[in-house]
Amino acid sequence: MELYGPIVVLFAIALAFAIISVVGARLAGPRRFNRAKNEAYECGIEPTPTGPGGGKFPIKFYLTAMLFIVFDIEIIFLYPWAVAFDSLGLFGFVEMVLFIATVFIAYTYVWRRGGLDWD
Amino acid sequence: MTTMVSADTLDISFPEVDYLALAPLLIVFGAACVGILLEAFLPRTRRYSAQLVLSVVGLVAALVTIVMNVGEDRPAFAMSDGSRVDAIVIDGPGLFLMGAIVAMGVIAVLLIAERRVSAGGAFVAHAAVAADSKADAAQARHPGATEVFPLTMFAIGGMMLFCVAGDLLTMFIALEAFSLPLYLLCGLARRRRLLSQEAAMKYFLLGAFASAFFIYGVALLYGYAGSVQLVDINAAIAASGNSQVLLLSGLAMLAVGLLFKAAAVPFHVWTPDVYTGAPTPVTALMAACTKVAAIGGLLRVFNVAFGNSGNPGGPSLAWDWRPILIAIAIATMVIGAILAVTQTDIKRLLAYSSIANAGYLLVGVIALGQALGATLFYLVAYGFTVLAAFAVVTLVRDSQGEATHLSRWAGLAKRSPRFAVIFTLLMLAFAGIPLTSGFAAKFAVFSSALEAGQTSLVIVGVLSSVILAFPYLKVVVLLWLSQPVEDAPAVSMPGFMTGTAVTVGVVFTVLLGLAPQVLLNIVDGAGQFLAK
Amino acid sequence: MNGLESFGQDPWWLVGLKALAIFVILVLLTLFSIWYERKVVAWMQVRPGPNRNGPFGLLQSLADGLKLAFKEDLVPKAADKIVFLLAPMISTVCAFTAFAVIPFGPVVSVFGVETPLQLTDLPVAVLLVLATSALGVYGIVLGGWSSGSTYSLLGSLRAAAQVISYEIAMGLSIVAVFLTAGSLSTSQIVAAQQGGQEVTLFGTSFTIPGWYALLLLPSFIVFAISVVGETNRAPFDLPEAESELVGGFHTEYSSLKFALFFLAEYINMVTVSAMATTLFLGGWQAPFPASWWPGANEGWWPVLWFFLKVLILLFGFVWLRGTLPRFRYDQFMRLGWKVLVPANLLWIVVLAAVRAGTQQPEWSAQWVGMIGGAFLLVLLVIWFWPGRKKYEQATEPDTGLGGFPVPPLDLQVPPSPRVKRLTAEREPVSVSAGDDATAEGKEG
Repeated sequence: MELYGPIVVLFAIALAFAIISVVGARLAGPRRFNRAKNEAYECGIEPTPTGPGGGKFPIKFYLTAMLFIVFDIEIIFLYPWAVAFDSLGLFGFVEMVLFIATVFIAYTYVWRRGGLDWD
Repeated sequence: MTTMVSADTLDISFPEVDYLALAPLLIVFGAACVGILLEAFLPRTRRYSAQLVLSVVGLVAALVTIVMNVGEDRPAFAMSDGSRVDAIVIDGPGLFLMGAIVAMGVIAVLLIAERRVSAGGAFVAHAAVAADSKADAAQARHPGATEVFPLTMFAIGGMMLFCVAGDLLTMFIALEAFSLPLYLLCGLARRRRLLSQEAAMKYFLLGAFASAFFIYGVALLYGYAGSVQLVDINAAIAASGNSQVLLLSGLAMLAVGLLFKAAAVPFHVWTPDVYTGAPTPVTALMAACTKVAAIGGLLRVFNVAFGNSGNPGGPSLAWDWRPILIAIAIATMVIGAILAVTQTDIKRLLAYSSIANAGYLLVGVIALGQALGATLFYLVAYGFTVLAAFAVVTLVRDSQGEATHLSRWAGLAKRSPRFAVIFTLLMLAFAGIPLTSGFAAKFAVFSSALEAGQTSLVIVGVLSSVILAFPYLKVVVLLWLSQPVEDAPAVSMPGFMTGTAVTVGVVFTVLLGLAPQVLLNIVDGAGQFLAK
Repeated sequence: MNGLESFGQDPWWLVGLKALAIFVILVLLTLFSIWYERKVVAWMQVRPGPNRNGPFGLLQSLADGLKLAFKEDLVPKAADKIVFLLAPMISTVCAFTAFAVIPFGPVVSVFGVETPLQLTDLPVAVLLVLATSALGVYGIVLGGWSSGSTYSLLGSLRAAAQVISYEIAMGLSIVAVFLTAGSLSTSQIVAAQQGGQEVTLFGTSFTIPGWYALLLLPSFIVFAISVVGETNRAPFDLPEAESELVGGFHTEYSSLKFALFFLAEYINMVTVSAMATTLFLGGWQAPFPASWWPGANEGWWPVLWFFLKVLILLFGFVWLRGTLPRFRYDQFMRLGWKVLVPANLLWIVVLAAVRAGTQQPEWSAQWVGMIGGAFLLVLLVIWFWPGRKKYEQATEPDTGLGGFPVPPLDLQVPPSPRVKRLTAEREPVSVSAGDDATAEGKEG
């Protein structure tokens, strides 16, 4: 546990710095509000209203997020395997090749179906 | 390299893999993976035939390897140091359940592949297109997705794994492997898209909850027993040193997850909507194969981990869970039967009948080892009959697609007596009339439950099947004695595949009714779950 | 046991001192690298760059920072106030925390206490860096989402998609390092790069240097590309593409909140440079000519080597920005998903095959290497084989004047329905020119 303590110390220093900055700017800066300043910036025209929660956005982003999760999980499996590779030997190698190949099948499917293309 | 590190000192031993034992699973999952590659690389026009051949060949090959495995009960993995790895256990009941799933899976694949009855098949290409939008209207003109084949294969593979999983984590993976494809398949119906999407959404949300319950239960049981293997949990119960709170709450959560898939009351609420909204071939797959998998999982968990089969005469947890499971079984039988009476839609009626049948199967689960053979028999008998019934439902069509409202079925016997005869036979089998498989199955389960001393359950079971006979007979009366309605639906000529499904279902229904001993001998020969 | 015995032994004051030192170093390094970037880009463009504040304009970034503190702190009306406030803090804190596991040097004596020049090390240290960089994305996404502005939202979505796409490539590229080093701890990865390895190939024996950048060149290339995407730097700075999205996710931010995002971006740049140094360039160990001098890897000297390597890598970042135009988004995603990811997976498999092969006594290492190399070569040829699709000359657009596409002469622009309402409702706004804080800093 003593290995993790210093991280918390650094985290606390960074957090204190961030809070001081945000609060300090609030105190130090001038306050001369008007309506235009309080609106979202949109090249001077009236801002386009966004839907609740930011409105709808293209489904491509969800697809990317799902692909990310698939590959992130693959990476998570690869790390311990890589670290212990020397003691896993040929068996571990074959197993991991099979695993990578399985994910690769899904990957080729997504590729062929245009899941990786941005129009 | 000047390395270091603990990795060099790790002592990892590897399991010996029994590839023959794994062959059925490897073939089915492998066929599913190849199916995905076909989907990726074949031109659109050739996918359908290639996928169909691949799926059927894969399932038949799996069936062959299952038969080759018969006779030797063993885990599929053996550690060199003698420690036990029960991830996959090949034993008599497991092989029988796998075989049943594969055999019924072939029929379900044939139903899924049918494209003669309605143009383009029962599926659309994209499940996520908003219902009744322009894009949705456009995709109605095109043939459906051929991805349904790999999805079905994944589902079937998951169900097979679910029945032979000897530890709870493998079981959970299997549960997800067959649930996720089913969620998606439910949303692909060509007609009544909104209902279909609703069904998929409901099934997914509730199924995700059930999975969460299951895995939470696994965690608690791991806390209790220090292992997720069923035999170790059984041993830990026999040693009975630890807190019963962990054990009982873990068992309860696990049971919720399993009973959800089996559609037992009060975890049945998804069943009618999902059965109605899903494409009928997928409903058939769920009613036949998923039921086998869910009940198979229940049988294995309760027999191996929570029964006392591991240590006869020793302390048994059965005294704790039996009353609750009895209450659930009674509720399932009674509520399923009563609600079936009020239904006006044939798919909903079959859904409630499926709930009630889950109750009868639970009777077999409660009776543990003594009723194991009878329960396996019931699963097969019910599965083939329900496959044939849904196959017939796909044939009764009007301009809106399948005409599932019962009022539309009035007097259908006058126009197509052949199908009326077949459907009547199936309904009689559901009702449990002698000389049909339904009677033999119910008789087998109830008599072995009586032997196991579950008299009250049997009484409720018999009474509820009397109630349940009423809606079936109502359909029969409607078919034969009512006047046909205006613009009544027509019964399509089945293509080869639906025809095969109906024929096989009817043949099994009659055969198991006339000569149940053939199959009863097989299930008796299957013996008990491997639990040492 | 796990080689981390020298960590976790520090007295509390030393932990505080080290943490504070890292904090100060990072802030100073940020101020320095902003100046460094502006100066280098300026010289590349044959301009003097900042030269007013302090010697060589060194204090320019400090002046900018102080000025930002006295700017008005605006919160848009449509913003989600709390999230809007939290987002820059998340970015900053995550950026700082990642540095906790970067090794600056070997064990030295600080006020009589023997301690490694590293705040701490974990058996899973690299995962901490990955985790903080992944969490840092939340700052960007939430910042853009909570602003209630279309530009910000689009910028943040782009940022999220970009960072997670390139995180895959980055995560895969360092698998090879773990495979070779057999550890996830940063200090042990540095130690594993010590010295070379005697290799006999075709009868001649020579020494392969220990740096993974040479040993695992493909990994290093992929890592270098993907960290540029990961840190949203040119040519992959699409989330803040000013020609399309104004300022991207930080369009609505002003004052020190903007400065915090800015700080986080530069710290991230320093962090990935330090990671590249640690994982691939031998960490704090002396580079080639200096490594002949026996004392080079002892005492405080390694800190010099470390920062030298980091500054060279930072120069690389600036160089990229100075020379390359911005990618188009689809090209960018194609590079990430269709080139880096499969190439990486392939490389991992080949590397693992070679490594597994060399472990088998009956297989000779060179045969394994040759077969693996041939396999890799074949795959690369397949990969880069020119596609069947020929380049097609684009059909000439409707050209009017001098070959340039022009709108048709009778183009009717329908009047905007909002125009009337706008002119009626808007009150005159007076904004003093030249105050736009978002334009600062990036200009040089």
